[in-house]
This record gives sequence, C-alpha cells and structure tokens, in this order.
Amino acid sequence: MTDAANTDRWIRWLNLVQLVLAGVLIMAPTVWMVLSSFKPSFEVTAYPPTLVFTPTLENYVELTRTTPFLSYALNSLIVTVGSTALGLLFGIPAAFAVSWTRISWPAILTLAARMAPGTLFLLPWYVMFRQVGMIGSYTALILSHAVITLPIVIWVLLPSFDGIPRSVFEAAQVDGCSVTRILWRIALPLVASGVAVSAILAFVFSWNYFLFALVLSNGDTKTLIAAAFNFIGEGSTQWGALMAAATLIALPPLVLAALVQRWLVSGLTLGAVKG
Amino acid sequence: MSDAAATLAQDRQKLEMSALSAPAVIFTVAMIAFPVVYTVWLGFQNFSSTGKQSFAGLANYSRLISDYEFWHGLWVTIALYVLSLVLQLVFGVWLALVLFHAKRLPGIVRSLFISPFMMPPVVAGMMWLVILDPSLGAANYMLQSFGLPPSDWLASPSLVIPTVALIDSWQWTPYVALIVLGGLQSLPPSVYEAAQIDGASPFKTFQRITLPLLLPTIVTAAILRSVDLLRFFDIIYITTQGGPGNASNTLNIYGFRVGFEFFNIGYASALMLTLTAIVFGAVLAFNRLRGAVAW
Repeated sequence: MTDAANTDRWIRWLNLVQLVLAGVLIMAPTVWMVLSSFKPSFEVTAYPPTLVFTPTLENYVELTRTTPFLSYALNSLIVTVGSTALGLLFGIPAAFAVSWTRISWPAILTLAARMAPGTLFLLPWYVMFRQVGMIGSYTALILSHAVITLPIVIWVLLPSFDGIPRSVFEAAQVDGCSVTRILWRIALPLVASGVAVSAILAFVFSWNYFLFALVLSNGDTKTLIAAAFNFIGEGSTQWGALMAAATLIALPPLVLAALVQRWLVSGLTLGAVKG
Repeated sequence: MSDAAATLAQDRQKLEMSALSAPAVIFTVAMIAFPVVYTVWLGFQNFSSTGKQSFAGLANYSRLISDYEFWHGLWVTIALYVLSLVLQLVFGVWLALVLFHAKRLPGIVRSLFISPFMMPPVVAGMMWLVILDPSLGAANYMLQSFGLPPSDWLASPSLVIPTVALIDSWQWTPYVALIVLGGLQSLPPSVYEAAQIDGASPFKTFQRITLPLLLPTIVTAAILRSVDLLRFFDIIYITTQGGPGNASNTLNIYGFRVGFEFFNIGYASALMLTLTAIVFGAVLAFNRLRGAVAW
C-alpha cells in the first residue's frame, strides 16, 4: 500500500517537473522579448546578456519618435475591425442557414481560403485591384482580410446554432415569424457568447495576418504587421525598439485570447474537434 | 388547399434561407472562386518585363519542370514540413499528457500556454531573430555557458531549416497539445481503470490504449498543421527572406518573389497552383488516414 502511495507521489512530482519545464520553454522567449523592450539601449546588446537592469521606457519613446508607429497601429485597427465586422455580417446569417437547412456547401466553400496558400489569391487580386486603382486602399485590405474572418465566424458559430433545440424555431414559425426575424430576435441572443468568441478569434487572426497587407497596402495604409520590416531594417543596434514594437504588436491578440481561452479549442479547430 | 399553402410556406422559407447565405456565398465566389479561375488563366499567360501580356500555352508549366529553383523550393518545403510536423506532434502529445495530468489548471496558466500561437508569427520571427543572433543572442550565450560551441542558427545554410522548424514548433506545439488534450478529455475513463486493474504499467497503458484511441485526434491535428506548414511564409519572410542564399526558399516564398519582386505573374500563378495541388493532396491523404484509424 505504502509502495503504491510512494509511486503515486513520484509520478505526481515528475509531472510537476515536466509542467514547469514546458512552461519555461514556452514562456522564456516571450519574457525575453518583453524584458529586452524595457532595457536601456546600451544593455539590449550587452554580451553576456544581462538579467538585472533599470527598466526604462526609452525604447518605446524612440519607437514612436522615429517611426509612424501610431498611424500603422490605426491602420491595423481599421483593417481588423472592418474585416471582423464584415465577417460577422456575412457569417452570422450564413451559419444560421447552414445549421438550419443542413446544406453545408456554403460553409465548406469558405474553408477553401483556410487551405490554399494566400499567394494563390493575392496574384489575381493584385492584378484586379491594380486595374481599378484600389491598391493601397482600406477597402482592398478589408475585403482581403474578410477572407480570413468569414470562415472563422461561420465555423465557430455552426456548433452554437446546432445546439439550439429545433422546437424553439418551430414554435416561432407557427406563430408566423419570418426566418430572418427568428434569426435576429430568437437565435442570435441564444448564441451571443458564440458570437463574442467568433468575433475575438476573427479579430486575432485578422490582426496577425501578414501576407495580404504586404502587397495590397501602401505607405499610408500599411498595417503594423506589414510594417514589421521597417523596424527590423534599422539594424541590430535598434534591438530595443524592435522588441518594443514586437511587444506592442503582440499585445492586443494576447489580451483578447486570454479572455476567451476557455472556449478556444473548438473555435481554433474550425469544428474539427469537439472541445 | 392546406397542402398547397404548406408548399408555399416551404418555398418561401427556402428562399429566405438562400437569401441568408447569399452574401457569404457571393463574397466567397467573388474573392476566392473567381480569382482562382483567373489564376488558372494567368498560368497560361506570359508577362514580359515591360508588362506586356501574351498567351503562353503550357510554357509556364514546362519551365517549372526544368527550373532548378522550383525543385529546390519543393525540397525545402517538404523538409521543413516533415521536420516541423514530427516535432510538433511528438512534443504536442507530450505536452497534452502533462497538461492532462495536471488537473485544475488555472485559467491564467492556460492563457500562458496558448500565448505562442495567439501572437502574430511575424512577432515570433522578430523575437527569435534577436534571441538567435549569432554574435549577441541569448541562445548562443546559453549554449556556451553549458560548454557547447555557438551556432549560426538562421545565418547557417545547413541549419536554417531546422532552426525555422524549431521556431514554428515553439509557436504551434501548444496548439497541437490543446487539440490532443481535447481528445484525451473525451476518452472514457473506464478504459484506464480497466488497465489499472490489470496492472498495466503507465507506459504500457499509453502505448496500447491511450495512443491508439488518440490517433484520430492526432491525425486531425496533423491535417490542420499540414495546411499551414506546406504554405510556410511569415516566419521565413521576416527572418531570412528565403536565405541565406536560397537555403530556406520554400515554394510559397519563391512563388511570392517571382510574382511580386520579378513581376512574372504568369509563372508565379503556375507555381502557386502546383503548391495548392500539393496542399490539397496532403489533406486528402490524411483524410483517408483518419478514416483508417477511426474507432
């Protein structure tokens, strides 16, 4: 009996060690990035690297002084919010219709964007947007990023709509409610938390997306992610500002993801796994 | 009479349903289906350096076959794909088991564990660029303090693929773990209890019971990662841009550069269609596999 208890304690201890090890491996690079962003400029590139230092905001000041960081951030916000809104506007009714009719091809069609390499769309978009003079416009950026957000909204919301008992809709139908009315007045309030999760995930992945803005934006509409190059280009002496930029760019998605981490599994796998 | 009224109501409902999915369908056709068809057409076009366009037939595809950079890109793509996928699946299953046995994980800890793949890959590239710097990076300092020789990491033609695989695995292993953890939590506990009564060792239990039952979940994770890994772009474009030389020039990076740096849209279209066929082929193959390991 004591033998078994001993083994048990051993196993639990071993597991704790592994948990801490995994945690350190996962967290260390991020912690290093954040620490570096607060280091005085002469210490960022110190070798051997220092762990104890007087934290300073000089890198952040430098970043906003030497680059149009805030206007890039505003561009990112416009494109991300715009594409998330568009994804919700198109995705909510589509998810509802797919869930109700069980005709799933519209949902599968939107998934194509999740599978094909972005460059496949970017080539014809570039040719088409250039012809109508839309390269560098917010519209082109928002439309392209909505290709990312739409499947997320649809596939996150599908299980939520599926979870509503059919009898709820049938009762409303008997009362003479139109389908559109049922969606907005009855179904939507029931899946409000699903809508919130889908909106946050759509926001995160639109914010993080790199490729489209790289080609479709110009100097005035460049998003933070597409501008990341400008920060790197300044050379290794600017590590402090580079890490400050990286920290600020990563902050919005990390904060939002922390809010919905509990519901993330099913949302991130686009319904492939029941979380 | 009431029959006719019922059909009328049904028709009306069908119409309303179509109207609800219409915006999403029209948007997808306009932004994806039509452009893809357009890409197919572009693949048969030749764009001269002056921007003049002419019909090229299959010239872009025959050029593909004799293009050394294409075959090299294919090799880089597959090497990076296999290496990253194996790393992420092995460590993902390990991490999932560790998380599974640590019952009652506080939300804040879970948030920290998912933080790598919620941040932009571009940011991951930026931070690792600094950490892996050959002369001043923290990684080489760690190596040296353990008495190991420093490495050139991303600057070394022979090490750049493993290094990029390592960065991507740092970012996406927790994602695989989260999926596998979901699979673990849905396994019936009675299975373990039976094994315990039979006196099976923890390792045997894992090998004979847990792993086979988890296989469908692991294949699902493999599919989701394959789709991203075969079109690898962000981290490479930020850290090496396909270099040093062309050592990390994946097909996606190569196609992008042909299209948007050399503006050979026709040839780039042929390259991208080939890559897309590879991605869909991999997904179909894994789907078969998932059917084979289902229970």
